[in-house]
Amino acid sequence: MNPTELAYLLVIIPFIGFLIVAFFGNKMKEGGAYLAIASVASTLVLSILILFDVMENGSYEVSMNWVAGTGLEVGMFIDSLTALMLIVVTFVSTMVVIYSIGYMHDDPSKRRYYAEICLFVGSMLGLILANNFLLMFIFWELVGVCSYLLIGFWYQKPAAASAAKKAFLVTRIGDVLFLTGIAILYVKYGTLNFTELEHLMGHDVQGLLLPALLLFCGAVGKSAQFPLHVWLPNAMEGPTTVSALIHAATMVNAGIYLVARSYFILEHVPDAFLVIAVIGGITALMAATMALVQYDIKGVLAYSTISQLGYMMLALGAGVHAYGYTAGMFHLMNHAFFKALLFLAAGSVIHAVGSNDMRIMGGLHKHMKITSITMLIGSLSIAGFPFFSGFFSKDEVLASVWHAAADNNIYYLLYAMGVFTAFLTAFYIFRMWYMTFAGKQRGDYHPHESPKTMTVPLMILAVLAAGAGFIFFFGFQDFVYFGHAPHLTISHMFEMWQTWVSIAAGLSGIGLATLIYYKGTISPRTFTAGPGRRAIRRVLEMKYYMDEFYMWIAQKIIYGGSLVMDKFDGKVIDGAINGISSGGIALGHASNSFDKNAIDGTVNGLSKGSFIGGKLLWKMQSGRVQDYASLMILGVVGLVILMLLMGVV
Amino acid sequence: MIPLTHYLILSAMLFCIGMYGVLTKKNAIYVLMSIEIMLNAVNINFVAFSAYSGDVSGQIFALFSIALAAAEVAIGLAIFLLLYKRYGTVELQKIRLLRW
Repeated sequence: MNPTELAYLLVIIPFIGFLIVAFFGNKMKEGGAYLAIASVASTLVLSILILFDVMENGSYEVSMNWVAGTGLEVGMFIDSLTALMLIVVTFVSTMVVIYSIGYMHDDPSKRRYYAEICLFVGSMLGLILANNFLLMFIFWELVGVCSYLLIGFWYQKPAAASAAKKAFLVTRIGDVLFLTGIAILYVKYGTLNFTELEHLMGHDVQGLLLPALLLFCGAVGKSAQFPLHVWLPNAMEGPTTVSALIHAATMVNAGIYLVARSYFILEHVPDAFLVIAVIGGITALMAATMALVQYDIKGVLAYSTISQLGYMMLALGAGVHAYGYTAGMFHLMNHAFFKALLFLAAGSVIHAVGSNDMRIMGGLHKHMKITSITMLIGSLSIAGFPFFSGFFSKDEVLASVWHAAADNNIYYLLYAMGVFTAFLTAFYIFRMWYMTFAGKQRGDYHPHESPKTMTVPLMILAVLAAGAGFIFFFGFQDFVYFGHAPHLTISHMFEMWQTWVSIAAGLSGIGLATLIYYKGTISPRTFTAGPGRRAIRRVLEMKYYMDEFYMWIAQKIIYGGSLVMDKFDGKVIDGAINGISSGGIALGHASNSFDKNAIDGTVNGLSKGSFIGGKLLWKMQSGRVQDYASLMILGVVGLVILMLLMGVV
Repeated sequence: MIPLTHYLILSAMLFCIGMYGVLTKKNAIYVLMSIEIMLNAVNINFVAFSAYSGDVSGQIFALFSIALAAAEVAIGLAIFLLLYKRYGTVELQKIRLLRW
């Protein structure tokens, strides 16, 4: 079978799985879970085949016409970036679906869950495989719908229902801007195909800044970047498996993927890179600070996800020359593994404790060793502990930002923000680990280790979270790159002082968390002593008042604006409309009199004439049979006379 | 032998009498009877021409015509009976449904 057919199958299999599970899931074991696993696992196998094919033969494209004559098409474009994303998405999906058997075992609406997961996987693969922006946008919206459905999976809970709505509406802002960007590109170039656009941009690169930034706005919404990050923490209302799959490892990466995919546009507009880097840097730092004060175990991970996505944006924003592309995509891959691991481990904890609140956890290590150790591996990875995967990718990200600073000084500031974020990340993640697993149990419950279906995916992911970092030096950097491959070696890495800075940041974060939450040498209260520090804490707890700010915008500016517009409507527009309408009335009068005299005169005349004629003829229609017979006889006699006169007879 | 003209004159007279009856009689039964007279005038023509031309088909037509006349009377009387039931009269001047 050739790779072309494989690519179509990748999208088709999950969709078929979705249909079967959706209609017959209730009749199957575990609500169709095994069918869902089979379809997702088969996409993993196909992705691996495609990966090997791309490594051997390079990128290729297949497409067919969609709307003739418009340049719109349905097709697949597969290169190293696509292959990487395929592996990440299908692998994490497979792990999560297997894990779901244990996690969703007692849920009554399993069928809906597995159906929606299948739909999501199919849409996500379609998004990655699409060879043009429009098709990508269609799948982009589909994953948005799946995200909405799965956040609101427990729709009976008002919080879940409103979180789903919030996620949908906030990402919609980005989506509309994304669509606008697509429209501008289409008007300018008459095609949306990636390769054709890239070719056309060789000749004409004027006015690309606006569409490039609009595309980035789509990514901001989907990847929960500042200022549209507010939906992701609320999205944790969904099942933890959904958070792990959609809101940590796959869908939120769609925005990063979009930016990476648009690199051929961005390379012509260097200003856009700066915007991306600044947004990424702000997001990384801001989200990391908010994660410090969370007591919800999933809340910590949600803010951590936003922060790490900010890291990826920061790396992509470093530009072509600084190898930001490779660093960002490498971090994406590692993040998908260790964040899925952390979320699934958190799900295992929640499964055992029955609550998200870390204040009632503690001392769980002796009850659930596998969860504890796998989560520790994930934490070490995200904290950037040397030789764990997060260490390598985070280091590459920071190194590429430092490289970019050679051209623009703002990147020095972004580098400092990145290092500080690395410190905060190590701190909050170990705060979480210690609060959950170390010390004494603070609540009244009986924890137990989770079943095998849940722990086995954890162990597999833990192996990757620990070891995936070395892939970078053995193939990754020569496979996923834009322009030139970086060609870095491990020894070269340790010659740079930047590496030691990020190691120091990570270790000091871990150390501080150990001192406060494990040893207890420093009381956490020292950080909230005094009004100034309390105020900082309050601001962080209120998430920088972003939600309030948006509510204020909605209520005061938009609603108030609407009131003003209403007044404007009443006075000015209505006045104008009334003026127009009185003009219309005058015109109407004129045309009315013309109507009455000229047109009605004609019509009335005609009707009068026919009326008189009718009155004359009416007399003949007596209704008496004998009158008609007489007329008939008269007619016959007349005919006979006529025939005689004409000499016919 | 009686010349053909005599037959034709008789038939024309009968036809005109019948037609007069059809056009002037108020009662539908009289009209029906007048139509019978007109039909008989036609029959006389058929038979007379047949006898003079030596072709029997005219006489066969006359027989058909008589049978048809009988059928026509049967249907006509049935219609008048129904008309009488509905309107209480069979006077043609009063039945004017052909006009609105």
